[in-house]
Amino acid sequence: MEFSKPIKISRRHVLKMGVMGSAALSLGIFRSQLVKSKTGSAAGSVAAQKTEQIGFMYDQQKCVACRVCQAACKATNNWEEGTEWRRVLTSDKSKAYLSISCNHCEKPACVEVCPVGAYTKREKDGIVIHDAEKCIGCKYCMYACPYHAPQFSDDTGRISKCHFCYERQDNGEDPACVANCPTNALTYGKLAELREAQGGVDQLEGLPNPELTKPSWVIIPKKE
Amino acid sequence: MHWHWMIIIYLFLGGLGAGAYLTSFAAEKGWLGRNSSLRRTGYFIAAPIVAIGTVLLVFDLGQGLTKPWLLIGLLANLSSVMTWGVYILAAFIIVGLLKGYFTLTNKSAPNILTLSGAVLALATGTYTGLLLAVIKAVPFWATWIMPVLFVASALSTGLSLTALLAPLVEKKSFCEGREGRAHILLIVVELIIVAAFVGIMISGVNGPVAKESVALVISGVYALVFWGYFIGLGLLFPLVVYIYRYQRSKVPVIQYVSESPSATSDLAANEQKGHHSYLTIVSDISVIIGGFALRALVILAAIPVWDGITIL
Repeated sequence: MEFSKPIKISRRHVLKMGVMGSAALSLGIFRSQLVKSKTGSAAGSVAAQKTEQIGFMYDQQKCVACRVCQAACKATNNWEEGTEWRRVLTSDKSKAYLSISCNHCEKPACVEVCPVGAYTKREKDGIVIHDAEKCIGCKYCMYACPYHAPQFSDDTGRISKCHFCYERQDNGEDPACVANCPTNALTYGKLAELREAQGGVDQLEGLPNPELTKPSWVIIPKKE
Repeated sequence: MHWHWMIIIYLFLGGLGAGAYLTSFAAEKGWLGRNSSLRRTGYFIAAPIVAIGTVLLVFDLGQGLTKPWLLIGLLANLSSVMTWGVYILAAFIIVGLLKGYFTLTNKSAPNILTLSGAVLALATGTYTGLLLAVIKAVPFWATWIMPVLFVASALSTGLSLTALLAPLVEKKSFCEGREGRAHILLIVVELIIVAAFVGIMISGVNGPVAKESVALVISGVYALVFWGYFIGLGLLFPLVVYIYRYQRSKVPVIQYVSESPSATSDLAANEQKGHHSYLTIVSDISVIIGGFALRALVILAAIPVWDGITIL
């Protein structure tokens, strides 16, 4: 008697754990399928278009580092405390500038590593969107992104980043940074067309090798 | 940079628990000598250790505690190594607890349970290294040697902790088996892997930033932790102790030539019945400290491929 009782309990335990485990699993998988099917049908309704990757183009020769792009982004997207979706960097040596946010990469490392699937790459234009509602704040993406696009806020305990003002774009407006740039140093468009720009590059000296994530940006470097 | 002590402890405990399970698995299979006293202790401690590490990780999440329902999402992205880890660790904790229960109640566990536990333990140890190895934007991590190094350290620390606690678990019936040889083998292997790892980073195949990272470790701010805690305390000192004790345990071979080596070493070890020598206790603790230092070095010396600020 004393021997058989613990076995029964252990089997029950095994069963219980199995049921609970598979329930948790199916919930997780089911949820992600739901999300996927949702985006799938949304993309399908746009007549199964192929991705036309869009990207930013930044002209170092035109930029005067007024930081209006930053301010416009901050005002439009209500940056969470401690985050900077767009940064304007200055070179000490050559007095060149770089306005940088998310490059909406062709091979986005954030999408790959995020354990909760908070990142999605939009089917129609390749915009990488982060869903802060799903984010658990593990910071794995901060290591994975070579451009430091994902930004963490200690206030909210979660990541947020540039989403290319996709809602504005869906309403026919330009991204806030581009719309407000006074010198037209920052523009955007279809990446394939931007790539044809004279003297355009996808890497500056000292910046990450573009092979890592294939960033969707074009930089026109400052002439010496 | 972004990850600190919680992650270091999590990676360390993941390896430690996995190593403890595999130690008792090896002992049960007879690889650590006949009648090894390590065949139960590792099974008792493995799952709880990994579980503690996992709980700590949840505490480190920005929103893990405030919005715990988001954690179910951790099963969502099958392309993320961290998601693999959640599956692996969850499965290992469950299987480890079951195996521990069977062991505690002196029932024979199904072979498939024991074996899948060993596979999951190996997967747990590998995962802790793979989590870092896939991050190409941190050149110091981006090498396949990382998971190999972490597994070697997991086995070494797991063996040490199991050997350290076994006398408390087994009480009077404890006697040392062949684990001294396993200790020596694991440390030598780990030294070779560390040399290869450091060599790769210095060579520059992983780029100039990897060189910066390794310089921090071998000659920079972390040099004391590396040479003192990891190489000295964690590897060389215990290696010397284990070799010394192994040499001493071989002495009776001369007197009992006809007997098999394992039988004689078991016989010699009988002197130590009931407890360890203090030297062994110190070197076991020392191995565990070294394993912790390794995880700390790897996390703290991570430098991103670009700092996000500097342009030329």
